Amino acid sequence: MAVTRMFGASVKRREDARMMTGRAHYTDDVRRNHTVHMSVVRSPYAHANITNIDSSEAAQMPGVVGVFTGADLVDDVAPVPCAWLLPDCNLKVPEYRAIAVDKARFVGDPVAVVIAEDRYQAEDAADAVKVSYEPLDVVTNQEAAVKDGAPQLYDDVPNNLAFQWKLSGGNFEEANQSADIRISQRFVNQRLIPNAMETRGVLADYNPGSGSLEVWLTSQNPHIHRLLLSAVTGIPEMNIRVDSTDVGGGFGSKIPLYGGEMIACGIAKKLGKPVKWMESRRENYVTTAHGRDHIDYVDLAATSDGKITGIRVEAYANHGAYLSTAAPGVPTWLFGTMLSGPYKIPNIECTMNGVLTNTTTTDAYRGAGRPEATYLLERMMDLLAKETGLDPVEVRRRNFIQPDEFPYTVATTLQYDSGNYDAALDQALEMVGYEELRKKQEDLRSQGRYLGIGFSTYVEVCGLAPSSAAGMMGFQGGLWESATVRVHPSGKATVLTGASPHGQGEETTFAQLVSHETGIPFHDIEIVHGDTDRIPFGWGTYGSRSTAVGGSAIVYASRNIVEKAKRFAAHMLESSPEDIDFNDGVFSVKGSPERSKTIQDVALAAHLAWDLPEGEKPGLEDSYFFDPTNFTFPFGTHICVVEVDAETGTTEVQKYVAVDDLGNVINPMIVDGQVHGGIAQGLAQALYEYAAYDEGGQLLTGSMMDYCVPKFEHIPHMDVGRTVTTTPVNPMGLKGAGETGTIASTPAVVNAIIDALSPLGIKHMDMPFTPQRVWEAIQERKGS
Amino acid sequence: MKHEITVTVNGTKHTSEVDSRMLLVHYIRDVLNLTGTHVGCDTSQCGACTILFNGKAVKCCTMLAAQADGAEIMTIEGLAKNGDLHPIQEGFWEEHGLQCGFCTPGMIMASYDLLQRIPNPDEQQIRHNLEGNLCRCTGYQNIVKSVQFASKKMSGAPGDD
Amino acid sequence: MKISGSYTVNAEQQAVWDRLLDPDTLWNCLPGVQKLDKTGENEYDLAMNVGVGMIKGTYEGKVRISDLNEPHDYQMYVEGSGRPGFVKGTGKIELADQGDGTTEITYAGDVEVGGPVGSVAQRMLGSVSKRIVDQFFSCVEEQINKQGS
Repeated sequence: MAVTRMFGASVKRREDARMMTGRAHYTDDVRRNHTVHMSVVRSPYAHANITNIDSSEAAQMPGVVGVFTGADLVDDVAPVPCAWLLPDCNLKVPEYRAIAVDKARFVGDPVAVVIAEDRYQAEDAADAVKVSYEPLDVVTNQEAAVKDGAPQLYDDVPNNLAFQWKLSGGNFEEANQSADIRISQRFVNQRLIPNAMETRGVLADYNPGSGSLEVWLTSQNPHIHRLLLSAVTGIPEMNIRVDSTDVGGGFGSKIPLYGGEMIACGIAKKLGKPVKWMESRRENYVTTAHGRDHIDYVDLAATSDGKITGIRVEAYANHGAYLSTAAPGVPTWLFGTMLSGPYKIPNIECTMNGVLTNTTTTDAYRGAGRPEATYLLERMMDLLAKETGLDPVEVRRRNFIQPDEFPYTVATTLQYDSGNYDAALDQALEMVGYEELRKKQEDLRSQGRYLGIGFSTYVEVCGLAPSSAAGMMGFQGGLWESATVRVHPSGKATVLTGASPHGQGEETTFAQLVSHETGIPFHDIEIVHGDTDRIPFGWGTYGSRSTAVGGSAIVYASRNIVEKAKRFAAHMLESSPEDIDFNDGVFSVKGSPERSKTIQDVALAAHLAWDLPEGEKPGLEDSYFFDPTNFTFPFGTHICVVEVDAETGTTEVQKYVAVDDLGNVINPMIVDGQVHGGIAQGLAQALYEYAAYDEGGQLLTGSMMDYCVPKFEHIPHMDVGRTVTTTPVNPMGLKGAGETGTIASTPAVVNAIIDALSPLGIKHMDMPFTPQRVWEAIQERKGS
Repeated sequence: MKHEITVTVNGTKHTSEVDSRMLLVHYIRDVLNLTGTHVGCDTSQCGACTILFNGKAVKCCTMLAAQADGAEIMTIEGLAKNGDLHPIQEGFWEEHGLQCGFCTPGMIMASYDLLQRIPNPDEQQIRHNLEGNLCRCTGYQNIVKSVQFASKKMSGAPGDD
Repeated sequence: MKISGSYTVNAEQQAVWDRLLDPDTLWNCLPGVQKLDKTGENEYDLAMNVGVGMIKGTYEGKVRISDLNEPHDYQMYVEGSGRPGFVKGTGKIELADQGDGTTEITYAGDVEVGGPVGSVAQRMLGSVSKRIVDQFFSCVEEQINKQGS
């Protein structure tokens, strides 16, 4: 391997150059001549029969090209597909029409679309479409929806139960019988709205001459979207190009395929004109998939000295009105398998009820299933600490899997790759100054002040995933990743990746990787992603997989290039490959370094091909498909210190320390940024965010005025540290960084607040900890 | 109804006929094709559409194009001069103040306004003055550092606009 | 959501009653009314332009007045829908002679809203509905006094 300083260097991001100067091209920035614009008429009812649609007036309005109802497009656009078909759990996938036909099932369900020459005209005409509804009874809560007598969304989904998924290892019942300590707690993991700063949108341009469709799409996984768009429109896959090079954030919400994008493509084909649709923020709130929304009943069994012997979770996940693309996998495989956390828990049982309600669909949201598991587990650890009288640090240590026990197979069948949980915990304790803090807490308590210290010692599953595991879980795809490294005659390189970064900075980190492996200067390497006409098939960016999986494909392709180049260099130097050293882009003969060729020399020779080594082909290019043998398991400790003002109920985060072990790190600056952003999102769940529905199914937090996306002053300064435990799963020894912050931070903040309020006898409250809720709880306790 | 407006954008004078109801952000993006100014919400909460309007930061998604008649506007495209990044842009680059980049143009324009008013802001002042701009990626910490970087750089370079 | 309130009109109870049930009053005094067609006894088709926060637009629907107990109280039923969403409400309007030539109108009702107006503007509905009601009653008062003088 070449030795350069690229791996591990905080190289400034190259994608910034276009983004800071307003020259990036997000979907709405793409221009096509004669584009027509789409506006969507949406149901204001959460549940209603659609009895009539009168578009006669709208059709006559200025600029209107056409008005289409669901019935008009039944033959053009197939139903929205669900691509995670859980086996063995009686999964029912109800028909999900891109435009509702006969019945609307949530507020925002599309009922008709208007196409007009400009967006203003389209909006005007959408106003004029008259829809008659017959309102039906509404159910928004998942526990209510499964009860007998609840309003039914579908005739063929009894009790609105889409699936009941079970996973178990060991025997919880036995463990519970013999336990010294049993703790039960119900947790509400509230519904969140992802709020990527760029809303969803599409520009679809169909060429009737060639029968091809070009689609600019806000997507985290353009190839998955191409495949699904081909399936729903009937346009062959090779005739569709999806381009998602610049995407303004996703956080999971741009994984699914949505109806709006499908309709725009279908109509573009029907009209032979480019069709654009950009969601307004209000539409984004009601139609782009939400996240979380669990109700979890947890039972924990432990010995009197604080060793956990078993955990059981019976849970209800709210999937909204339809099953979104990846939805069934999120509260099941991505949740249930993680219930062991960093602890040795021999007996685990999980039952997850997937429920349909008259709400917006839910799907992956940063962390996707793993934050929910970590939250309940870390809350249970604190409850166990309380019950045993142990320090929350000690109770965690007693249950940690030990460094010499890896690879370690947990009761939920996952095999953890590597870990050193105490090391991360020790570093975090030192950074936060734990002992002094406890003293300070005691002092403040004697003054009637509420300081709290909260822990989260987490492990998460990243680097999704071995494709065989994807198949076993019912995911209708593989989870390998692809790369092509193409060295040009001049020695500069183009790298094509199937990963699809949209803020994670892989145009930079991947170039660092290639430079590190090949010695080609960083600035001579271009990373191409997001455009299905340029890149090889790939599965996209989510599940902290881009670098762990996509980066691996790049490393192996680079190494194959170096191997080939070494054979060429040996030939050119009249030596044999075994006698060639490779260092920093230079091939030299062992023992006589003055006899050397650079990789650029070799690239030129390989392209000229005037004098090929025996049996070699021209060119210097390699494609690699990397399918990981296992997931990766980043871990760490987050500690949050809060003071709660009993007079106002306001929580002030005084200190936030995160020590994450992500294995090796390619670009520390970028990784810190990922950790910061992740913490902000997880902390916001604990303190601020909450999608509220009224009993009629109206989303009450339907804009940025009502839903608290955190602002500058809501997020504290974060102190970030790292330990390094490498993984054998990939050639870089790294684990993935995109989701750890979100997964770890929520319980750390909540544990801190509960710790602060513990003198009042408060053991648990549900999120978010808004000042009003906290104040009410304090008043209640003080009153009693 | 149509209005004739004359607007100077990034130093270039444009005369256009616009509908009464056309939003200024759509004028900038769709008529002038300056797509660096983004639309992130429709309630003026997110600040992705922040521009400098007669020298002050405004969110142009809730302004009409007709209101801009006679105005001097600077958008993100006008900030770098002759290919040289403005110190604020440098700050965002050096301190990793952006990830997906969608909020960045608005964030930079708001920071420009802030540094005009308070050339050497402390962390609290930065957080307070930029609270009209939302970022979902960074957790804000590196944006604070970016503005501090720019502040230092700008105070060491008198005459810099 | 529940809405309720009261308004004191400087007029006799019977005059207020008469005026409230006069379709011309609805036409003249309801802010933003664009269409008012009588479809039956105490039943009207109505189109009204209302802005709640940033959600502005026209609602088309029906108004029905029932359970008349002259000159004391009646029930009112309203439903309307449009691009901003839908509004449905029922309420009771009560009139009480204050003994000093003034009449207190008390209203209490239950309103359901949906669509954009429900998701974005619901928290502003209370103040907007109060503003509309106050504007309406003050206009009623003006009309009575104009007629009286």
